[in-house]
Amino acid sequence: MASKLSPFLHAGPVATDDNLSIIHLKRDLQTPTILRSYDKDDEGYSEGKVVNTRFGSFPHKTLIGLPWGSQVRASRVDTGSRGRRQEKKKKRKSDEAGLDASKEEAGDTPKEEKETVTASSGFIHLLPPTPENWTSSLPHRTQVVYTPDYSYILHRIRARPGTNIIEAGAGSGSFTHASARAVYSGLPSTEGGELSVSASKRRKLGKVWSFEFHEQRHEKLVKEIQDHGLEGVVQITHRDVCEDGFLVNEESPKADAIFLDLPAPWLALPHLSRSGPPAKEEKEDAESNGMDSSKGKPFVSPLNPTVPVHLCTFSPCIEQVQRTVSVMRHLGWTDISMVEVAQKRIEVRRERVGIDNGQQRGIQATPANVDEALARLKEVEGNFQTFHGQEPTGETTKPKKVKREQNPNNRETIMESLVERKVYKEGRLVHKTEPDVKTHTSYLVFAILPVQWTAEDEEKVRAKWAIKVRKTGDQEVDGEVVGVSRRQQKKAARQAMKDNAAAKKEASLSAPPSEDENKDLIADLEKTLEV
Amino acid sequence: MHSLVQPNEWVVLRLPSDTLKVLQIVPNTIVSLGKYGTFSSNLVLERPYNLTYELLDREAGQKDSGLRIVPASELHADTIAEENAAANPVNDDKVVIGGDGVEFELVAENGEVIMRSNRETIDDSARQTLTMEEIETLKQEGTGAGKDLIAKLMLSHTALDQKTTFSLAKYKLLKTKKYLRRFTILPMDVPMLTYWMMEEKDAAKIFEMRDEMLALVGCWANVHYSVAPNPEASETGGRWLMVDETGGLLVAAMAERMGILYPPQDAPRSLYPTEAQEKEEQALQTSAHSPDGFRTSLASTNTLTLLHNNAQPNLSLLKYFNFAVDTPNPTHPLTAHLHTLSWLQLISPELDTTYSTPPVSHTPEELLAMKSGKRGTYYRKHRRWARTKSIVDSTRNGSFSGLVVASAMDPVSILRHTIPLLAGGAPISIYSPTIEPLTALADFYSTSRRTAFIQAPPAGFEELSSGEKEQWQGDEDFPLNPTLVLGASIQTSRVRNWQVLPGRTHPEMTGRGGAEGYLFTGIKVLPAEGKVEARGKYRKKKAENEDKTATIKTEENGAGPEAKKRRIDADLAEVKAERDTRMEDVSQ
Repeated sequence: MASKLSPFLHAGPVATDDNLSIIHLKRDLQTPTILRSYDKDDEGYSEGKVVNTRFGSFPHKTLIGLPWGSQVRASRVDTGSRGRRQEKKKKRKSDEAGLDASKEEAGDTPKEEKETVTASSGFIHLLPPTPENWTSSLPHRTQVVYTPDYSYILHRIRARPGTNIIEAGAGSGSFTHASARAVYSGLPSTEGGELSVSASKRRKLGKVWSFEFHEQRHEKLVKEIQDHGLEGVVQITHRDVCEDGFLVNEESPKADAIFLDLPAPWLALPHLSRSGPPAKEEKEDAESNGMDSSKGKPFVSPLNPTVPVHLCTFSPCIEQVQRTVSVMRHLGWTDISMVEVAQKRIEVRRERVGIDNGQQRGIQATPANVDEALARLKEVEGNFQTFHGQEPTGETTKPKKVKREQNPNNRETIMESLVERKVYKEGRLVHKTEPDVKTHTSYLVFAILPVQWTAEDEEKVRAKWAIKVRKTGDQEVDGEVVGVSRRQQKKAARQAMKDNAAAKKEASLSAPPSEDENKDLIADLEKTLEV
Repeated sequence: MHSLVQPNEWVVLRLPSDTLKVLQIVPNTIVSLGKYGTFSSNLVLERPYNLTYELLDREAGQKDSGLRIVPASELHADTIAEENAAANPVNDDKVVIGGDGVEFELVAENGEVIMRSNRETIDDSARQTLTMEEIETLKQEGTGAGKDLIAKLMLSHTALDQKTTFSLAKYKLLKTKKYLRRFTILPMDVPMLTYWMMEEKDAAKIFEMRDEMLALVGCWANVHYSVAPNPEASETGGRWLMVDETGGLLVAAMAERMGILYPPQDAPRSLYPTEAQEKEEQALQTSAHSPDGFRTSLASTNTLTLLHNNAQPNLSLLKYFNFAVDTPNPTHPLTAHLHTLSWLQLISPELDTTYSTPPVSHTPEELLAMKSGKRGTYYRKHRRWARTKSIVDSTRNGSFSGLVVASAMDPVSILRHTIPLLAGGAPISIYSPTIEPLTALADFYSTSRRTAFIQAPPAGFEELSSGEKEQWQGDEDFPLNPTLVLGASIQTSRVRNWQVLPGRTHPEMTGRGGAEGYLFTGIKVLPAEGKVEARGKYRKKKAENEDKTATIKTEENGAGPEAKKRRIDADLAEVKAERDTRMEDVSQ
């Protein structure tokens, strides 16, 4: 059976039936929809399956087969009367309950479908799904790992095509999708074609080993992954990893990278070891024969034994971090580092200030500069004097008659301002941070577990690469010395000069130079060197 | 990916002072770590990455040191000991600093040390009784990989007993960084290259693009492994268009995301016979044949197409991944998957000599008569021409899956030429170290500008075909066609590093300044033919009139004053919505 290609991995040029697509209404308002040419749920629209948005109704037939990125007009869909019709239908259905229901479902709906009629207004854009727009539109089940976080995490834990990644605490599945895209490197061949077999053999196939301990969330995620055609890349297990570890069907995922989004990651860490969790009482026992004493089975490491394993934990609280890091140190993780990611979205707009132009929309009606303020003050002063019957002193500008009767918010004014006055070019282009900022998402702890290197391994390699050591008497014989940068060469030269000078000075003055003199000398030398 | 250090591979050595040393591990050579000492390169070859080594004391009569792997337990010994001490406070006056066998017994005069404060500390660096000469001698002795020296230094500090635990730990760390002869061997990959360029090499050269920004650029451009699953339907594979002036860092990062940066060496080679390998390579590279029958061995999917502004692309940083543009290694995946062409070749290929003048063809007889050297040149010329032609033609055909840019050039001019090459729904991701070029760009896609464009298109624009509309070169008011990009927005991201130590957890005190780095994102869209009316909040009131409107429209063919008024209504709704939601991307 040919496995379906996920639209996340291979969107193709056009939107296709039974695949996820994103209905883009506006930024931060996107609706994920699986396009269906048949209305399986029988929602009673005469156009078949319809997606209703605040910008109109869109029958799926009008979307399937369109190139991605198309702007699509809304259709005129009768949303009002279907409730009545459905009831009728239900009644009829219950009458014929004994009859072939499947036939009815498959055959009935399309027969009733009518041509779609384009509505006079409303449109959407049809976009291919990506982990980014999925993350911003997915149904929230838990706190979501957003793009700035997951992009950085995947970068740091070296999730690349071919990586096996463990994700524990799948949650809403945003990281699942992002990591599936990152590690995907082809699907295991199920067709048995010789070429594809060799292809899958040669290239290491990346996979996401996802764990979720909450049953409902797990079920939803399984459904979602199937709907999105990612089941070849993502393996989901319903499991509490802190208790039961990371083996799937008793087999090791051979993970190269790990992401833990758990409330207590330190409880899961002992399972992520190369040689078994450090058993407390039966320490000697566990170490001597490599047995997991609690189960009596040999310990199987969930990690890839041949590469350094990169790990990231995602915890909102600093106490969790401290505990995690402490456990990591005891378990032999190295390069432990902790960061937090702060993302800001920037709003760009034109800021128009001024009282000169009469009443307008979107303008801050305060003086744009001192001259304007002055002119205004003079005008007010003049009015005041005229009011009191005095002759206005100084030059005064005639009070400008602003057309008050014209509402700045009516359509003619706006269109005129846009088309004639080109207000989109007016004012100063400014930017600022958008009003809502996620100031804290979580702390990210990164760590690396190097490969285990035994004395036998070392011996083998030593036999292959004989160690060459220079003897003191030798001139440069065995190859040149690498790794001396220009900076270091300079430094060495400087040191040599320093030494020489010091020796000279010592020879001339029998007493060693005092600390300060020495400093001066060095400063001088450095100056000459720079020249 | 990186399991063992391979011969001639570029690696990074991290020294205790946190300085990085980038070098190639050539077999049978000596690696020098400056003041820390020297060792034989064969001591790290085919050993795992991420291990920390200690330079052993030199044996008598030898110039170079041996190495010892420092186990993680030893690396963390200090902190763990500290943690334990904090967990079980003892009232005796023995304070253990570090678990590496160096102990310090600190007894105050009254024989009681419970909690020190920094009240009595003397802020003076001259509390070290060892003179410089003495330290130098100790260094030359160089025993215990510098640990002896550190211990002596600490014992000779007159005010050690006045230090708080915190300052004591800090002092030890300071000395450790200076004198400990250890290093960690790390693989050279994109995150490491970025870090090294930023911290030690030349941050300006890579536009100060930090890891977090680099990761965001790749994600928003949706760059991933994408080989067409069946070669016939080649359009399902991904092709990304790039403009990279960072010396190849961005190319490397995208190639890493696509799985084409590292030669397939990680798997044990014996398992995979070369024949099958070749066969698959061939299958992957839907062998593009030039008209003359010269195979160009270019891949058609999962490719990066790089536009460069000089005659040759600057990809110098790719050398750390053993790839050179001038002398591409045929087994390196980038050879087939990285396509480069200049702006001239894209915009006016007829002016480019390489493209426009095919080399003279010879008959097989003539070829046989040639000297072998000349024949080689002949084939090379033909191959080069075929490659260029194939790249230029396929690039000009467009349908790219995404656009990634990090360039000093004006993004507007880049987009003017690249947007028509993108497929619908293709993401656009532009990095800039400063925000100004991006705000200017976002302004050209503002809602009010788009509305004005739709309301009153520039002269002659309406008569163009939809293809020509995409190619439209812009005018003064509308430098870019504002209807072709959706969701133009700008973001920035910054990582803050923390120190996590028992009782001393806080963000790092100093960081890097310089360019903040910004990312512009958008999506190439295909506007519907003809006028499209928006529907907004405003429209709801008029919903009952909708049918009527439609009738009027059809009757008057959308040209009468009534219809015009309706149109304006809809646009008005759009402008209003903009103000209501304060979104620059309100498409309705």
